[in-house]
Amino acid sequence: MWKAILLTIAAVALFGCEEKKTENLTVLAGSELRDMEPLLGDIEKRTGIKLLMTYSGTLDGAERLIAGEPTDLAWFSHGKYITLVQGEKNRIVAQEKTMLSPVVMGVKESVAKAWGWAGNPNVTWRDIAAKAESGELRYAMADPASSNSGFTALVGVATALSGSSDALSAKDVDQAQLGGFFKGQQLSAGSSGWLVDAYVRENGRLNGIINYESVLMALNRDRRLEDNLLLIYPKEGIITADYPLMLINGQKREAYDKLVAYLLSPEFQQKMMEQTLRRPVIPQVKLSAEFATPLLVELAFPNDLTAIDKLLFAYEDKHRRSSHAYFVLDVSGSMAGQRMQSLQTALKNLTGQDQTLSGRFSRFRSRESLTFIPFDNQVYLPQTFTIDDPSSQSTSMQAVRQYIDSLQPRGGTAIYQALQIAYRMALVAKGNDPDRFYSIVLMSDGQNNAGISEQEFAQFIAALPPQDQGIKTFTILFGEASQEGMRHLADITGGSLFDGRQSLGLAFKSIRGYQ
Amino acid sequence: MMRKLIAPLLTLLLVVGVGAGIYVSVNEQLGKERIVRVRGLIGSEKEDFFRDPRVVAALEKRGLAVDLEKAGSRQIATQFKLVNYDFAFPSGSPAAEKIKREAKVNKAYEVFFTPMAVASWKLIAGILEANGIVSQRDGIYYIIDMTRLLQFAIAEQRWSDLAKHEAYNVKKSVLMATTDVRQSNSAAMYLSLASYILNNNNIVDSAAQIEPIIQRLESLFLRQGFVENSSAGPFNDYLVMGPGKAPLVMIYEAQYLQEATRANSGLSDAMTLLYPEPTIFTKHILIPFNDKGDRLGVALADDPELQKLAIEHGFRNRDAAGFRSFVKNHSLSVPDTLVSVVEPPTYEILEQMIVMIEQRYKGN
Repeated sequence: MWKAILLTIAAVALFGCEEKKTENLTVLAGSELRDMEPLLGDIEKRTGIKLLMTYSGTLDGAERLIAGEPTDLAWFSHGKYITLVQGEKNRIVAQEKTMLSPVVMGVKESVAKAWGWAGNPNVTWRDIAAKAESGELRYAMADPASSNSGFTALVGVATALSGSSDALSAKDVDQAQLGGFFKGQQLSAGSSGWLVDAYVRENGRLNGIINYESVLMALNRDRRLEDNLLLIYPKEGIITADYPLMLINGQKREAYDKLVAYLLSPEFQQKMMEQTLRRPVIPQVKLSAEFATPLLVELAFPNDLTAIDKLLFAYEDKHRRSSHAYFVLDVSGSMAGQRMQSLQTALKNLTGQDQTLSGRFSRFRSRESLTFIPFDNQVYLPQTFTIDDPSSQSTSMQAVRQYIDSLQPRGGTAIYQALQIAYRMALVAKGNDPDRFYSIVLMSDGQNNAGISEQEFAQFIAALPPQDQGIKTFTILFGEASQEGMRHLADITGGSLFDGRQSLGLAFKSIRGYQ
Repeated sequence: MMRKLIAPLLTLLLVVGVGAGIYVSVNEQLGKERIVRVRGLIGSEKEDFFRDPRVVAALEKRGLAVDLEKAGSRQIATQFKLVNYDFAFPSGSPAAEKIKREAKVNKAYEVFFTPMAVASWKLIAGILEANGIVSQRDGIYYIIDMTRLLQFAIAEQRWSDLAKHEAYNVKKSVLMATTDVRQSNSAAMYLSLASYILNNNNIVDSAAQIEPIIQRLESLFLRQGFVENSSAGPFNDYLVMGPGKAPLVMIYEAQYLQEATRANSGLSDAMTLLYPEPTIFTKHILIPFNDKGDRLGVALADDPELQKLAIEHGFRNRDAAGFRSFVKNHSLSVPDTLVSVVEPPTYEILEQMIVMIEQRYKGN
């Protein structure tokens, strides 16, 4: 009987209690916050707030916010750039820092020891630049226009190498000796997550990587590398990402306050530190022993948008390795009409015609070579352009546009034949000029029905000698192309698949960070 | 027999349970109706005071509950629709004046005040002491030569250029870290103080006196790069990020004292507070926009319990004896009275200087 009474009490208790409602909040988040996914459940349990995350890159995210894309919250590794570009729009209603992670350089432990960098607190960005310039240091770094880690690193390195002790100004950008430093960048990527995976795969030819401290520490902790990374905190200073949670929709203030209160609680901060290896933002949670505790000198972050723009363009057009991008384009009969138009617009946008935030920084760069390889059931004569002047009205940009306008759809689809030609051309070009990034983009709207087969192509790739491997193919899914086939193709070459079915333009822009 | 008993028992329990539920909930509702919710904009450094359960209880006793939004004190006047709020509680009389003009309100309550101070590190104080800028009296550090400190800053000297800098061999400029002078009062207080020093220890009182010093003043802010809108930000960085972030941070004394007395304080032995000589006081002024805001103003300014709790959060007010015993109880090294204190310039003059710096930020 007591059981019955207890049950009744329980029933009454249940009945009396109001059912706790879960509130959904949409979050536009930087892709580096994907590692928070395992903590979202805790957040929901403790606050009754479910975060619905949509991921995006640096400039893309800033652009979407400024354009007024509806979202309740935004969460990026830092909010400084967004605060600056929003101007008078004031889209950020409130913001609160939630975690910390400096952007630093990881160097293979064996190499760092040989250079006397292990346990040495006096290593500077200048020392790093010297090793990069001499060719001894070969590192991976994400593209600053697409990824926050690359962006933060670029601002830090430029500030340190400009010799200024203050926030970077437009005049300092000219003075910064960046060329030597970026000679060492041998792998670029549009996202810091992809960069890490590519580093793990290619760490035979690389010996360093720039990324968030948390990401590098996780590589070591998860034993993903044979040669662990030693983290270098250069003496001139670094820039720390502080992950502000931003309230965009003022109607959600109450939920936002509740969320922030939990995110800043010792309970969450402790768990966050243990799981993601980011540093806590409250003094009550002490750094665990895994963290290095040198004097972390924080460099000033510029407050001047002109200086930042100038720096990004100086990087893209002047300092980074120039690249040679091969565009293997399906111009088969099925592309006729709307599809062909989308393709032509997407490519012409890259000639400086897209004046959006992300468009400006994804245009073709000065010194860059472009080879277009159109195909249907046969492969047409490839055409190569070199951009000598990146302004949209320059002769070289106009020539690219003219060429793109001349493309005519007809015939069948010989994907692999065209790709094989692209690889052969790229390998010859690489032999003549090894100090460039080489990459291939494949856009197709259909299935292979002419020329060599997928299997024959895979055999061709597998048979390449080691020194010829590593040129990646980035595939764009479009029309009736096979998702599985395109993904496989990206996988066997070390590239990545981009979905162009929603927006072909966006897919081409996203790939720019990898080229 | 047992089973026969269960059914009525169950019914009884249900009736009692549901009845109790209704009673509790009705009672809660009635209680809630007596409480007036007051919504306002405050400087971030006062958030902890308002979130203190003792403050919440004291306000509740007077029938008030407060809903807060934080903002830079000057930002309150420039970026918010004040009609949506019942009150504003900025820091600093210049920001308060700007809000009063914006909202066309004459009433204001001076609730408490706090001197400006510099959150720093013992190793930094040591270097400044060796350079004749800082001196200790009664275990308290004073910046006795603000002129020299500003000269170093304006001449773009780095910490590594100073004599005896070994403990902090860093190539950062000798700059005071502040908030954004366009948005926040604590930076405006630093501007007031620096303008006084650069104007040969006189309060700037005419446009003619701004002209010769404005470029030097601008450099103190622009060279810092990106800074935050409200004073809780830089102070939290100070607590969490160490001396490599900013060796000198302009804060309110109250922020430091509040942290010092907090259970599980973020302050460590390596940290210390420096008092500029002269310093400047920040008055925390509540501006009511309607009757609800007015009730809160009266409560905060007159209620002895709330005034006492303000002291517990490090603020100073009329109750000098109360502040003395707070300092004694927590064994804090804090000057009882500050003798060398300057007034900020008039609202118009300060505003003129801020607008000129704002133009420079815009690249003009």
